Amino acid sequence: MKISKISRVFALAAALVLVASGCSSMGVEPWERDILAKDEMQLLSDPLEASIDDHIYFSKEASSGGRGFGGGGCGCN
Amino acid sequence: MSRKNSKSVTATLTTATCALLGTTATTPVNAQEEDTWEFDTALLYYAEDNDRVQDISFKMLAYRNFVDDRVLSMSLGVDSLTGATPIGAITFDGPQTFTSPSGGQVRTVPANEIPLDGSFLDTRVALAANWQQPLGRLSAFNAGVSASKEYDYLHLGANFKLSRDFNNRNTTASLGLAFSSDELDPVGGAPMPLTPMLDVDDLSNRMGDQSKDIIDIVLGVSQIINRNLVVQLNYSYSSSDGYLNDPYKIVSLVDPVTGDPVPRIPTPGVEGPSHEYIFEGRPGERTKHSVYGQAKYYMNGKVLDASYRFMTDDWGIDSHTVDLRYRWPFGGQSYLEPHFRYYTQAHADFYRTSLDSSQALPLHASADYRLGEFDAFTVGLKYGRKLDSGNEWSARVELYSADGSMPADLLIGNQGGREIYPDTDAIIAQFSYSFGW
Amino acid sequence: MSRPGRATKVSRKNGLFKVTFVAMGSPCELLVDCEREADANALADIVSTEAWRIEDKFSRYLPDNIVHRINNSEGKSTSVDDETANLLDFAAELYEMSERRFDITSGALREVWNFDGSDKIPTGQDVRRILKRVGWEKASWQRPELAIAAGMQIDLGGIAKEYAVDKAAGLAAAETNAACLVNFGGDLVANGAPSGTDGWQVGIDAINRSQGTAQKLIRLKNGGLATSGDARRFLLKDGIRYSHILDPTTGWPVADAPRSITIAADTCTQAGMLATLAMLKGKDAESFLEDQDCQSWCLR
Repeated sequence: MKISKISRVFALAAALVLVASGCSSMGVEPWERDILAKDEMQLLSDPLEASIDDHIYFSKEASSGGRGFGGGGCGCN
Repeated sequence: MSRKNSKSVTATLTTATCALLGTTATTPVNAQEEDTWEFDTALLYYAEDNDRVQDISFKMLAYRNFVDDRVLSMSLGVDSLTGATPIGAITFDGPQTFTSPSGGQVRTVPANEIPLDGSFLDTRVALAANWQQPLGRLSAFNAGVSASKEYDYLHLGANFKLSRDFNNRNTTASLGLAFSSDELDPVGGAPMPLTPMLDVDDLSNRMGDQSKDIIDIVLGVSQIINRNLVVQLNYSYSSSDGYLNDPYKIVSLVDPVTGDPVPRIPTPGVEGPSHEYIFEGRPGERTKHSVYGQAKYYMNGKVLDASYRFMTDDWGIDSHTVDLRYRWPFGGQSYLEPHFRYYTQAHADFYRTSLDSSQALPLHASADYRLGEFDAFTVGLKYGRKLDSGNEWSARVELYSADGSMPADLLIGNQGGREIYPDTDAIIAQFSYSFGW
Repeated sequence: MSRPGRATKVSRKNGLFKVTFVAMGSPCELLVDCEREADANALADIVSTEAWRIEDKFSRYLPDNIVHRINNSEGKSTSVDDETANLLDFAAELYEMSERRFDITSGALREVWNFDGSDKIPTGQDVRRILKRVGWEKASWQRPELAIAAGMQIDLGGIAKEYAVDKAAGLAAAETNAACLVNFGGDLVANGAPSGTDGWQVGIDAINRSQGTAQKLIRLKNGGLATSGDARRFLLKDGIRYSHILDPTTGWPVADAPRSITIAADTCTQAGMLATLAMLKGKDAESFLEDQDCQSWCLR
């Protein structure tokens, strides 16, 4: 049961990576990056708030991270 | 000399320069002052209702920019935690008495209340530093260290990350590695898993310092779709090894028919627990896999940030997280950002409300509500404002509510009618200020 | 023009090509964001050749160029070419814009002012004597003929470096679309930002009295940056710091000038001239710059 779950995860991830790599024709030219360069369009636009939230949810739930890894553990879980 | 004189200099100079250089028009200058130092600071208040956990903390991120796009970032966090947290013992229509973690005294919890531990006060300090620099034209390298300390816990960690751009910088791939080595020194000593909670001053089932090591690997790809849309996909692997138990959490032994805690015969003349409780015992290893996807979409000034994360591990826990933020700017300098988060988790294989006292003990058992089955919602609103000086402040208030469900096969005897799972309701309030110089 | 010490060195720095050479007495640098070394070498040639051409043509130290001929004309008129005429026209405009303080004939003052950090201040008499040989109003400029009195000298050093930066960058831009940064001894101009960044990262040496030298970081995508300052050239006597910017109307250093002014403008020439004009305003430098609506960093 667990093995099939994990392999499902891998299959999903692999499929999405393939789709993403097939996206090599997608994108913008350097002079079209004005909007993407804005602070609020960064994938991690507020690292401090993200780390605060990560820490709160890490203490209250059984999952953690996903986006990257935070600054470190604590005794709360 | 006179103001009129001064004002005409720019125009005259521009014309004269064009004549000198023989150009008709030049691209206008584009120079931005970059702060050598940038600071993000935040003051956080977190409080659960019913006298449970309360946290006040101050956090700060400092960035020092060096020439050649190298950045040193440092973070500091100080948390002051007070309050109480459910210890895992089941609710019962009579009073229950527990020995404190230090083994020094007992504490009684009234009937029909979810047993919480005694109020604690814990201060935690966390520090981290990270160095970032480009490697050639298309790659970048990150390396960092982290440490945190509470009275009963020490964490030390190191992390590395490599990233590279492809497809005219529209695609970025990254690989990250993190190592963590943590040490626990619980009050009274770490209890041997699945052994009984003993009388006052009986620490015979306590062990010395414990440790756990964690390795995290993250593989990520981010892709620019078009001028307004960027997406990211990450796969994470995490492996923990060592003492993974919560040293302060217990599981009640109950009567298979009534579902009530089994009373304990006290030792004469000595204070001790009123019922049979055992310290929890989790496996010594845990492997987690997560897949995380995020999209940021710009719609005419407004930004939608949507993400989904799926996590599965070898403890039997599956979770789904959906997070939505919508940033709505107005007035030129301000914005409002509503936030919605939904989280659902399936319980760990060894999660129990309580254990049947007539059966042999299982290999692993925990009644920690955070390993249980629950749905959690977060609803919040943030207001932010950019000041003329370029500095920024923001304030947010969020409400977090987690409601558990108890699968029938985990209930023993008459437990069905009771409020077994300790739901959580909390308020999060944060004020942030960012500045540079 | 090949002379001893004239070589370009091409290396890689963070995936960009970096060309270094010496010209006009300063370390010069060209940074290019291109893929092939051949392209970088071609640009190295173009930029360094232009820098040396301008140095040879306008340096007051060389014995056989137009400046030397003008300075040794013994009062007779000299006919100049278009490029020199353009520079003289420009200098004339600056003379008016600065209320006679930017003056290419003020070089003679160097005979009595030697800014070596010592306390050797000339006497009032020394200065009055030299002032007789200073003053653009004493020159006769009718394009293409320039006549200056015997004993007078012109010095294009205050314009030539920034002019060279803009000319060299212009030639580079005509040759390639690649983002370039042309930097002659701290006076620089940028043509476009390197890929994946918001601009070239330039550090300005800022002087901070209490903490020694600190750096301010500027992200430059297009345009020029030039600095005018007395960081290394000054005289110190009786606790008074005499800046090396001389006011040709008095013969003395400009009073209460900021220690350093950096300007960002569309071209390096404009940046350099604004910095110099502001310096010449002495204590009014900051209010002058406020009226100009340009980005400036003034340090006192």
